[in-house]
Amino acid sequence: MSGYVGNIVESVTSIFDGMAVTFSHFFRRPYTVQYPDRMPVRVQDTLPYRYRGFLEVDLEICTGCLACERACPIDCILIEVLKDKETKQNLLVRFDIDLAKCMYCGLCSEPCPTGSIHHTREFEGADYSLESMVRRFVLEPTVTYKPKKAGEDDPAIVPILERGMRYVNEFAVPEAAPKAPKKEAAPAAKPAPAAPAAPAAAPEVQS
Amino acid sequence: MSLELEFADGRDVFATEDMVLNMGPQHPSTHGVLRFIIRADGEVMRSAKADVGYLHRSIEKIAEKVGWHGFMPYTDRVDYVAAMTTNQAWAMAAEVLGGVTVPRRGEYCRVIAAELGRICSHLLAAGAMGMDIGAITPFTHAVRERELINDLLEELCGARLTFNYMRIGGVAWDLPPGFGAKVLRFLDHFEPYVDELDDLLSGNKIYIERLANVAVVSRERAIAYNLVGPNLRASGVKYDIRKHLPYSVYPEFDFEVPIGEGRHGSVGDCWDRYIVRLHEMRQSARILRQAIDGLPEGPVIAKVPRNYKPAAGEVHVHVETPRGDQSWYVVADGTEYPYRVHIRTGSFAAMAMIEELSRGLMIADLVALIASFDIVAPEVDR
Repeated sequence: MSGYVGNIVESVTSIFDGMAVTFSHFFRRPYTVQYPDRMPVRVQDTLPYRYRGFLEVDLEICTGCLACERACPIDCILIEVLKDKETKQNLLVRFDIDLAKCMYCGLCSEPCPTGSIHHTREFEGADYSLESMVRRFVLEPTVTYKPKKAGEDDPAIVPILERGMRYVNEFAVPEAAPKAPKKEAAPAAKPAPAAPAAPAAAPEVQS
Repeated sequence: MSLELEFADGRDVFATEDMVLNMGPQHPSTHGVLRFIIRADGEVMRSAKADVGYLHRSIEKIAEKVGWHGFMPYTDRVDYVAAMTTNQAWAMAAEVLGGVTVPRRGEYCRVIAAELGRICSHLLAAGAMGMDIGAITPFTHAVRERELINDLLEELCGARLTFNYMRIGGVAWDLPPGFGAKVLRFLDHFEPYVDELDDLLSGNKIYIERLANVAVVSRERAIAYNLVGPNLRASGVKYDIRKHLPYSVYPEFDFEVPIGEGRHGSVGDCWDRYIVRLHEMRQSARILRQAIDGLPEGPVIAKVPRNYKPAAGEVHVHVETPRGDQSWYVVADGTEYPYRVHIRTGSFAAMAMIEELSRGLMIADLVALIASFDIVAPEVDR
């Protein structure tokens, strides 16, 4: 009989032991935020620099090397490059990324020599059809970018290339970004001597 | 006086039949899409047969088609609760075949990432254990702490669950600036929290009654069924791949291997399996502190060609994941694709044992049993 009562007493007291922990949480700061309407800033802007969100392509600096297409393990990137016989230039006629298929692994943005294909911090992609998840970046045939030995001088392209090279260098070694580009980004380091000029401390320029 | 009532054909009027009950595949406490076919006599089970395969994605076959580098994101999906260790296993297998040496800083980054992942997984296991028994609060608490680790890992590699952080030859990116200090700050917060979880759950009389002496796995049976990881250690076998088949830089760290002691019943019961995980979180925190203190300088990744072609041969690597010894058998034939990959996971062995253990248990105890084995269904099926 005493064992019976003892069990009940022990059960009730041990419940209150746990309840004391629960109760202490009334006086702690909550961890949760009210997404999306009561956020002081957009969630996207609070995400870390390396966040792998939707892919984006800057066609101005795309060299058409197909490295990203080859690196993609699920073939969600489709690129078509044609050779223009008259001007001897390479024309990008198609650059599609199926964001519904994409698994956001980041393998495509690593080999990119100029940082043209890169992850943004956008992630809100709900839509009504799968077709609308295919992002078509080439609207009309575009000439591929050719790295210049003397460094880029076109004022329209310089900021884009700067952003791209920052992405390439900082993603790999965020601390070493202001210094010389690391060996890992060696193929990328050649075309852009003027590249990693920006300091590492401003990650919000992305996208 | 005995009643001897019979039907006309001679059957006993009071004879009973076993009830066949399906638990799953969409049962909330089966930890993934997993089905049990239970034969029960009232509340007592005669057997619970696991019907696996609902989450089979033929990951091992995919490896033969996507190449050495391209398979890395798929390894995240083998065991998505602790993807870092699975990443590491694949990287190690490819490195041994190709003769690549990982830089020391790369190994330290791997250890930091893997131990954070281990804490993450054990938190979920401990929380889900409470939830399955009927204590809902611990789960929300554990998942809340897990979010903090997810934030850290997100900063490290850009994803919260499918990390794809490691590469053949090292890790993809160095630790971001100030990461070590952030991890230490998290550990300062986390270590008292483990004691809090202990207060909240471990001592609860109802919790102990539900788990102690339930589904006891003796030392001999655990070895016979090839249980690994915390499930094996809870039965009193001190066996941890990190200690006994050391890989990476684990020999440099000072940590203990907790084993089940049977504080509330026999050694190897459900409660022991729970408490071993709790102790392991503390040990992981110890390793993390040492790893961040001793972090060497240098590169994080060795030079590995993009078109990676290891020499023909075969390799068998072992990695201690949160669910135990995960061993990868990889055969290469000198081309840019692996010839064959086989993964042997910890959950698979535990799943095989459930049928034996379930005999004579109550149906409600099966839930405790699955939770205490910390079975992750996609890891069973792959």
